Amino acid sequence: MSLVFLVPLFLIGFAGVVVPIAVHLTRRQRRNVVYFPSLMFLEKIPYQERRRRRIQHWFLLSLRALALALVAAAFARPFLDQSSGAALGSAGPREIVVLLDRSYSMEIGDQIEQARSQAETILSDLGPLDRASLVTFARGAEVVARSTSDRARLRGALDTVTVSSGATRFGPALKVAQTILEESTLARGEVYLLSDFQRNGWTGDEGVRLPPGSSLIPIEVGGEDTIDNLMVSDVTLPRQIVAGRERITPTARVVRRGGEAPRTASVSLELDGQEIQTVDIELAPNDAQPVSFQAFTLSQPHTTGTVRLDDDALSADDSHHFVLSPGTALSVLIVDGAGGSSDPSLYLRGALGISDDGRFDVRSRRSSTVRPVDLEGAAAVFINDVQLDGGSAERIRSFVEDGGGVLVALGQDSGWPASAADMLPGTPGAMQDRLQGRGGRLGYLDYEHPVFEVFSGPRSGDFTGARFYRARAFAPSDSAAVLARFDDGSVALAELRLGRGRVLVWTTSLDSFWNDLALQPVYLPFVHRLAEYLGGRGEALPWFVAGQVVDVADPEALETAGLVSSEAAGLVEGLDQVALSPMGGNLALPAVDGPRYLPLEEHGFYTVRQPGTDPDRPFVIAVNVDLEESNLGRVEPDELALQIEAPAIVDDGSPRLTQAVELQREDQERRQSLWRWLLAAALALFALETVISNWVSRRATGAAGVVTG
Amino acid sequence: MATTRPRHSAAGTQFLDPAVLGRIGNLELLARTVVDGFLTGLHRSPYLGFSMDFAEHRPYMPGDDIRRIDWKLFARSDRHYIKLFEADTNANFSVLLDLSASMSYGSHSLTKLDYARYLAACLTYFSNKQRDRVGLVTFDHEVVDYVPPSMKHLDTILHTLDRAKAGRPGSLAEPILKITEMLGRKGILVVISDFYEEPDAVLSALGPLRARGHDVIVFHVMDPYELEFPFQEASGFEDLETGEQIPVIPGKLRADYLAMMNAHLAALERSFTDHRIDYRLLDTSKPLDTALFEYLLARERMSKTR
Repeated sequence: MSLVFLVPLFLIGFAGVVVPIAVHLTRRQRRNVVYFPSLMFLEKIPYQERRRRRIQHWFLLSLRALALALVAAAFARPFLDQSSGAALGSAGPREIVVLLDRSYSMEIGDQIEQARSQAETILSDLGPLDRASLVTFARGAEVVARSTSDRARLRGALDTVTVSSGATRFGPALKVAQTILEESTLARGEVYLLSDFQRNGWTGDEGVRLPPGSSLIPIEVGGEDTIDNLMVSDVTLPRQIVAGRERITPTARVVRRGGEAPRTASVSLELDGQEIQTVDIELAPNDAQPVSFQAFTLSQPHTTGTVRLDDDALSADDSHHFVLSPGTALSVLIVDGAGGSSDPSLYLRGALGISDDGRFDVRSRRSSTVRPVDLEGAAAVFINDVQLDGGSAERIRSFVEDGGGVLVALGQDSGWPASAADMLPGTPGAMQDRLQGRGGRLGYLDYEHPVFEVFSGPRSGDFTGARFYRARAFAPSDSAAVLARFDDGSVALAELRLGRGRVLVWTTSLDSFWNDLALQPVYLPFVHRLAEYLGGRGEALPWFVAGQVVDVADPEALETAGLVSSEAAGLVEGLDQVALSPMGGNLALPAVDGPRYLPLEEHGFYTVRQPGTDPDRPFVIAVNVDLEESNLGRVEPDELALQIEAPAIVDDGSPRLTQAVELQREDQERRQSLWRWLLAAALALFALETVISNWVSRRATGAAGVVTG
Repeated sequence: MATTRPRHSAAGTQFLDPAVLGRIGNLELLARTVVDGFLTGLHRSPYLGFSMDFAEHRPYMPGDDIRRIDWKLFARSDRHYIKLFEADTNANFSVLLDLSASMSYGSHSLTKLDYARYLAACLTYFSNKQRDRVGLVTFDHEVVDYVPPSMKHLDTILHTLDRAKAGRPGSLAEPILKITEMLGRKGILVVISDFYEEPDAVLSALGPLRARGHDVIVFHVMDPYELEFPFQEASGFEDLETGEQIPVIPGKLRADYLAMMNAHLAALERSFTDHRIDYRLLDTSKPLDTALFEYLLARERMSKTR
């Protein structure tokens, strides 16, 4: 490490040091000329010229000179060149960071053992003053031992390293190494990266740059990127209601990477730990095949399932886990008018009744009143073309505020009590006919909204075919959101959030009387989406990917995770829980206010239950590995090293290199910013000099003669 | 430093401070102010004329020469009166004023030349009141202005003094020689200078004046800074006459300077005394009464010797 100046030309400013001396001598004489009648006596006195010009205040002079020198030095922008020091110094203590890849691809062959052995070799070569850190990484990085020279501790930490279920990500590990090196006081840094260098682990935009004077030494273990690997890439679990019970027909997709000749593979399906079926398939090299299993009846909540292949070199992707629970039907209440001879809810009821999995439990009430008993268990209510009384409206209000959803379809007979007008997202008006031409159309749909989100893609549902001949005018309130408009700009669908629930208003009928939407193919999914949105139903995930986190204190997250078992209901009630990991570890989830995060690090099944209990059907979360890791394509280790290493500078005169050297020097100078301190010191010196010189001047009140005439 | 207090200083004869005099622009007014004030406070009668023309009587004042008491009048009135006479012109009085550049020095509001001009004006006015013929010669290294002695030349002299400026290098030998030739009749010569020359050279220059029978009174005008050298800060000292400049650290040189200055003053006084020339060192920060007393004493001495 040496002191270098970025703009040494400014060092010419050091010549300015002579300025105070010159001023001290010349200005002093010029200012203090004393006119005297005659020098006849003074000239007779023997006196040395040198003595007459002697500097009296050496301290002041040195202050001025030093301040000027500091200003010159500040303009020359000095910095401590760490790169040159590192380039020169091959001796001296080192800060060593060993980054050890424990992603699941390291289980191929004995790669993890090789890596551990290499790490041991590195640690055994530590000098007496060297310090080392051990960092293991997969998706994230974990500092196992930080900057220590205790070899026993390092070796002990090394022995605990095992393969994880995570995918390779170099970025976090290298950032940890960068931090350790930047915080280190040792001049030399070495980062050893022990990995199988999968390309998926490095995107190149991680923004990692090791500090100058540090080097990255990649050590590749394994290196087989063409192994014959089979994996279960996906499993689809379509449901069907057969005789009132759910039947699942699992279909797995098996992929073969690499290989040279066709091979046979056995694919088995396990449910609740028991093998149900095994299918043999033949796969060509780099081939993929779907495997369909026999349907099974889903009767128990939290049923665990696994599609498993025979073990190969990379076993983590040979199995695919999932958890299923019987679906619960969404209870929908349809309220329509009692007097009419026609049935305004014919199409609506029919649409909700059509589903493979029987997801809607539809009840109808033909009355202008809604009783409390009608709302019990209901998740969504369609008030279809009916004039409600005030009491019913208030009951509906309570229902919505507690989290329910209501759609009010405005038809010929519909009306809304004025006392509950604030429940609607606006004010209904008179009927408006669109009888000219072919009627009106839907001109605007909010595809960001959950109701229309599924229709946003191409060929996902066409609303433009529907013709609307009559609708009720509707003036939306300020707090309402308009989800759909007709092509003349009038409101078709509006929404108002009320308490924990929501109220939607459809300004035309839901049958084919005022429009022909009910006759369009899009009607059925549209009505399904409306009912699901009103009922607040979320899609349960049958599995997670290793590395994800679930907040077991969040009901919505649990619902997404598929929690249905009443025995695991304590989860949302804030009771202490414990999670059993696939490898047999226990993770305590104490009841605390706020989130309770369960990190899903291992692939397999996490079982969550209350401590000391053994429920029949505990809450289970399935976790699969990230299949990106199965792609063993490699990144060139040296290429990776070049991207993150501050290059050792050897000046061979090439313009690019010179530019790189200059950039690196500027970077160092900018980070150190020594010039600020130098300027501050110079200012302080100038201030001190001013104070002292004023004091000296006041003391030495020199007498000077005056000449007049 | 030699004291400038007159030996015959009397209470009530302190005149206006030189700094205050400097504010009076008119030299005649200044001279009158000084001289009349001086005379009013003086107990002895200053007029020492030799004329026998009676002018008036005035009451005897303590300090008056008892020889001047009019005893006849005393016999008649039983009171002492002094008999005053109209003084006749009895001498040529000339001031020789040095206008060399060194005279322009002044450490306070009054330069040496100012002081010398006031002194010359006062003495001239005083002498003119005594009916002396008054003249003036100004010189530096040559004669600058010459006003021949006359009873009527007071105004001319005062005007000449008023516009006198110092600025050129000076020397005594040449102009004094010329003056010696110009002043034919014996008289009283008052030389006012700072005498920045070797004592021998000064004496050799003034010696011929004395040899021609003139009564010479020398006023050596010096600034207090020349006498005390109180400078502190190291400075470049520039000679007012030659323009030469040398760096000086006063603290180191003061002792040597004062020793040489005192030796110079002592040598001048000794030389002048040896040649019967009245010498008086004048400090420009001190009042003019010293000079006036000195002049009166000299006149008195001259009158006795005649």
